[in-house]
Amino acid sequence: MADDSLASHRRDPIKSSVGNVAAQRRRQNAATVGKERRESLVRAKRLCRVGATGEGDVLVEENHMMTDEEGFLLEDQTSSAVKELKSAVVYQGKGAMQKRVNALRELRRLLSKSEFPPVEAALKAGAIPLLVQCLSFGSPDEQLLEAAWCLTNIAAGKPEETKALLPALPLLIAHLGEKSSLPVAEQCAWALGNVAGEGEELRKVLLSQGALPPLARMVLPNKGSTVRTAAWALSNLIKGPDPKAATELIKVDGVLDAILRHLRKSDEELATEVAWVVVYLSALSNFATGVLVKSDALQPLVERLATSNSLQLLIPVLRSLGNLVAGDSHTTSTVLIPGHEITDGVIKVLVKCLKSDHRVLKKEASWVLSNIAAGSIEHKQLIYSSEAVPLLLRLLSTAPFDIRKEVAYVLGNLCVAPATGEGKPDLIKENLVSLVQRGCLSGFIDLVRSADIEAARLGLQFTELVLRGMPNGDGPKLVEQEDGIDAMERYQFHENEDLRNMANGLVDKYFGEDYGVNE
Amino acid sequence: MEVTQVLLNAQSIDGAVRKNAEESLKQFQEQNLPGFLLVLSGELVNEEKPVETRKLAGLILKNALDAKDQQRKVELVQRWLLLDGNAKSQIKAGLLKTLTSPVSDARSTASQVIAKVAGIELPHKQWPELIGSLLSNVHQLPAHAKQATLETLGYLCEEVSPDVIDQDQVNKILTAVVQGMSSSEVNIDVRLAATRALYNALGFAQANFSNDMERDYLMRVVCEATQSPDVRIRQAAFECLVSISSTYYEKLAPYIQDIFNITAKAVREDEEPVALQAVEFWSSICDEEIDILEEYGGDFTGDSNIPCFYFIKQAILALVPMLLETLLKQEEDQDQDEGAWNIAMAGGTCLGLVARTVGDDIVPLVVPFIEENISKPDWRQREAATYAFGSILEGPSPEKLIPLVNVALTFMLTALTKDPNSHVKDTTAWTLGRIFEFLHGSAVDTPIITQANCQQIITVLLQSMKDTPNVAEKACGALYFLAQGYEEVGPSSPLTPFFQEIVQSLLTVTHREDARESRLRTAAYETLNEVVRCSTEETAPLVLQLVPVITMELHNTLEGQNLSSDEKEKQSELQGLLCGCLQVIIQKLGSSESTKYAFMQYADQIMGLFLKVFACRSATVHEEAMLAIGALAYATGPDFAKYMPEFYKYLEMGLQNFEEYQVCAVTVGVVGDICRALEEKIVPYCDGIMTQLLKNLSSNQLHRSVKPPMFSCFGDIALAVGEYFEKYLMWAMSALQSAAELSTHTAGDDELIEYINTLRNGILEAYSGIFQGFKNSPKTQLLIPYAPHILQFLDGIYMEKDMDDVVMKTAIGVLGDLADTLGSHAASLIQQSVSSKDFLNECLSSEDLMIKESAEWAKLAITRAISV
Repeated sequence: MADDSLASHRRDPIKSSVGNVAAQRRRQNAATVGKERRESLVRAKRLCRVGATGEGDVLVEENHMMTDEEGFLLEDQTSSAVKELKSAVVYQGKGAMQKRVNALRELRRLLSKSEFPPVEAALKAGAIPLLVQCLSFGSPDEQLLEAAWCLTNIAAGKPEETKALLPALPLLIAHLGEKSSLPVAEQCAWALGNVAGEGEELRKVLLSQGALPPLARMVLPNKGSTVRTAAWALSNLIKGPDPKAATELIKVDGVLDAILRHLRKSDEELATEVAWVVVYLSALSNFATGVLVKSDALQPLVERLATSNSLQLLIPVLRSLGNLVAGDSHTTSTVLIPGHEITDGVIKVLVKCLKSDHRVLKKEASWVLSNIAAGSIEHKQLIYSSEAVPLLLRLLSTAPFDIRKEVAYVLGNLCVAPATGEGKPDLIKENLVSLVQRGCLSGFIDLVRSADIEAARLGLQFTELVLRGMPNGDGPKLVEQEDGIDAMERYQFHENEDLRNMANGLVDKYFGEDYGVNE
Repeated sequence: MEVTQVLLNAQSIDGAVRKNAEESLKQFQEQNLPGFLLVLSGELVNEEKPVETRKLAGLILKNALDAKDQQRKVELVQRWLLLDGNAKSQIKAGLLKTLTSPVSDARSTASQVIAKVAGIELPHKQWPELIGSLLSNVHQLPAHAKQATLETLGYLCEEVSPDVIDQDQVNKILTAVVQGMSSSEVNIDVRLAATRALYNALGFAQANFSNDMERDYLMRVVCEATQSPDVRIRQAAFECLVSISSTYYEKLAPYIQDIFNITAKAVREDEEPVALQAVEFWSSICDEEIDILEEYGGDFTGDSNIPCFYFIKQAILALVPMLLETLLKQEEDQDQDEGAWNIAMAGGTCLGLVARTVGDDIVPLVVPFIEENISKPDWRQREAATYAFGSILEGPSPEKLIPLVNVALTFMLTALTKDPNSHVKDTTAWTLGRIFEFLHGSAVDTPIITQANCQQIITVLLQSMKDTPNVAEKACGALYFLAQGYEEVGPSSPLTPFFQEIVQSLLTVTHREDARESRLRTAAYETLNEVVRCSTEETAPLVLQLVPVITMELHNTLEGQNLSSDEKEKQSELQGLLCGCLQVIIQKLGSSESTKYAFMQYADQIMGLFLKVFACRSATVHEEAMLAIGALAYATGPDFAKYMPEFYKYLEMGLQNFEEYQVCAVTVGVVGDICRALEEKIVPYCDGIMTQLLKNLSSNQLHRSVKPPMFSCFGDIALAVGEYFEKYLMWAMSALQSAAELSTHTAGDDELIEYINTLRNGILEAYSGIFQGFKNSPKTQLLIPYAPHILQFLDGIYMEKDMDDVVMKTAIGVLGDLADTLGSHAASLIQQSVSSKDFLNECLSSEDLMIKESAEWAKLAITRAISV
């Protein structure tokens, strides 16, 4: 250390070898070439608006005019396409079917072409009744597919445009049935998923028209994009807030099994959509939650969490797990029994999530842990002795606010015994002392300073534990060292009565006139 | 455990004993960290223990507090902070006690450990009494303890940042250090320790340097120390002056005359380590003034905080002769020794910096020296004259230099062929290279290379490539810059008639037996590359003929089997040069349709060779081969898909290799190249690539310079695959969002601000790519939820007012892309953003055409979005 820290200044000699510079320049040149090509590609894309026609090199000024023209053109084309469809629908002569399909295909192409699909123009020209007519029973698959596709694109539009689909819903639902070909059923499910995603009102309509059972049956097979689309549409359909649909779904024959099977075995993309279904089932319906817990749904969720690295999958799976733990006390008391393999598995995957770099995972994992930590003494000790505690301690001092708050719940729960009745909760002194020694108090005092009432209460409650519970009456000193008095005194005139009383009470009791007299 | 014995065993020459001891130390550490550290500090403090175990105990203690690896370091710091308070106090007490030990090694080890502990604890406001207790009785201490205390203060200043120590303590430290340095201190070791400590403490002395009295005093003590009888003290004192010259440039005016006298004396009379530092002082002043004058940009209303004092301009009459004298003190074989550094080399380097600082003014001061010495019988004089000439070719104006060069050129060419001394020839060839680098090319009005002398120049340079390796290497360098000057020469190049001969000569050089000496082979291949790169259409058939030649060479490197590690290294180096050469050839031939077509017949064969080059290594990928593949991807376009199944694993390997971050960065660039070549055909490989990119980004070991290109790479992928990117959207957006949050605000030095701007640019390029990729797809609505944050980011960086032009251009483009892709969905959000008004207007009135163009496009897109 002594030698290298004082190593003499040494600059590059002016007379240097060409090789050094040249190789570096060559490398930079390669990077520059890449950068230039990226820029020209982006430029070309910016200038090219409708379709890929290869007319990239138009000047910006001209492009403006062209674009307006093209937008206008597109609307114009759409109106004529609808007109064309109208004449194809009434035409009964030779090649009528092909004529209809061609007209539908043209309309579908126009509706998929631009980022501003000319939905309004299509609606204005009267597309919906024609499309509904094209969905009539007995129509050839190709026609059904194209019509449903047009409707899918219209449903993806603005809310009022989505509502325009109302007359088409019964037929779209009808084509979900077993007699339909898979591509047709899938396209209809897609359209319906878009409609269901629009809002509560349309969901109610769809449910009352019986969309749920056929969609539910579509998730029963083992694999395929149809299953995935149906699962996605279902998750949109049961979003609530009314829990009825969720309860109804879990009662459909075979759905529970299919969900568990997909969670266990399917590819990650399908499992992701299914996990979202489970999220809404467990968030909304107590009945569904109960059924899932009793059917060991925890096991596949834990396995997915342990083995997958797909964030898209991990988020719904973790939230499902959390819902199951939080939503049903049965989960913690009879399934997650300390000592059981599944319990260790849960803790392990939660630790994995705490270690992740993604804030949603960290936050949700803390939330799940806080629910488990609210359980029995054994649950608390299990978490306490796990790898989670050092991670939580670190998060408490470094993580963003929303995560810290969840973490504080966990740590707080670890220090109090399960509620037995009235009065202040009993302490678990051992845990409290050790967590405080490991530096958690400052994190809680920080929460006391927070503007968030819930977090502040949590901070105060923990401060109370420290004041009351640290041995040798060390509590007040520790709180003072962390500027806790100052933090509590801010509540002197706080508008929230509850917090004000709590804080003032603590200051009076522990830092009253006698405080410090003995020192 | 008897720790002394274990520590002795850990240094045993018997491998088994040593391993055993290391194992038990490790176990002890894992089982009981506080106990372990206590025992070590106990060993270190114990005067009855052997010096080697005390030293080792201290070393292990130090390694338990700090590590090179950043993640490990954070862990160690956490562990120490969580350690039991009693144990820590005991350890620290032991360390402080060791400072008074009669055993010098023990003291020195303790000094370093104390600094490490301080580095951890002081920022946490722990161990507040440390500095006080170190300084409390420093005057009464015996010399050896005083020396250790000062050494500790020095290390401490090196470990902790200035904001952690309050001014009062800084004052006390400086007082103690300066007293230790002063002539009243009789003990040499104490004075040396104090001088070295001051070097580290200078960064803490901002306030003291703003106070005239204190600064005068500090400067006086440092200047006094440069006159010490002890050479180590003189050297350390000059190092302090060098550090002051860059940290406190603007405070130097009152002292510069004295410093000149001191440095001039040292340069002329003192021992080399001291003289080198004295020269370095002036080089460092040049650095400062070049920076300041660059920021002025010729316009004195510039917003640089520090004015230029023109120290160099004022000193040149004395400074230049002093530097010229040093040029005559060459070492005999310095040209053969790559690591050489001596007073002549430092002097010439400084002279070059002075020329860049003062420009034309230096020329009349150097020309007489050149004229007087250039024809002298003593080689030292001829070499020094040539070296002086070569050094001043950057800085002065071409008008001033070209008349000189026109006179000198013939002389130089003769010297290069006829001078009996290799050192002179070496410097002559280098000077020719400098002439071509700075005074030849389309930017210079009067050409120095004409039809009349071109042939002679080339003949001489090619001839010199047969000279000794160092001379040949410099001749290659001269040819390199000669070719570069004709880069934009038009459809016909003056080099065309010589092209074949030049290429042949360079290839011959690469085959010389001694081509590995003086980096000759590297220079020859890089020169060949430059000749190819700057060649014109006329010689395209000849470049095409090079393909089978270089390909064969590369094929030959694959022959050897069971190579020793030395041979493997040689093989890999040669493969690198050949891949680099192919990279340039592919770029050249791929850039025009006619030659590309002819080249394509070799593509399969070349790609096959690149894959074999990769296969030569087990764990790492060959960076140069990777670069060459990027070029090949552009040339082949979508057809590159056929190579992907085999190539993919190496691509992944390169992405995984973030320890060698340059390899990783190059690979990320190649992913972009391949995206543009393959477009949607990249889809099957996207899962793997995206997974690896996201994994890298979440690692805290990733070198920060690779992050911006990785983000740009998201954009490349999205542009290539369009709506298929949906799969990665949530991940990518969340990674971008957290990086965006971090990079909205910049706080720090220029280097950090520059980095943050690169990072912003990468993030913005990703957003552009994603928006443009999704455009015209039915899934654009997926992007709507991200719009508020992206607009917030744009507003945020606009408000910070510290983005550079590149970021500005990309940022305003993103605003347009967002409007373009989301249209009316984002209309109200866009209207609410500051970016869509103030920022856009600022860009519309920018003088930078690229920014203006992007802004006009954005305005158009916004108008459309709002009007729908």
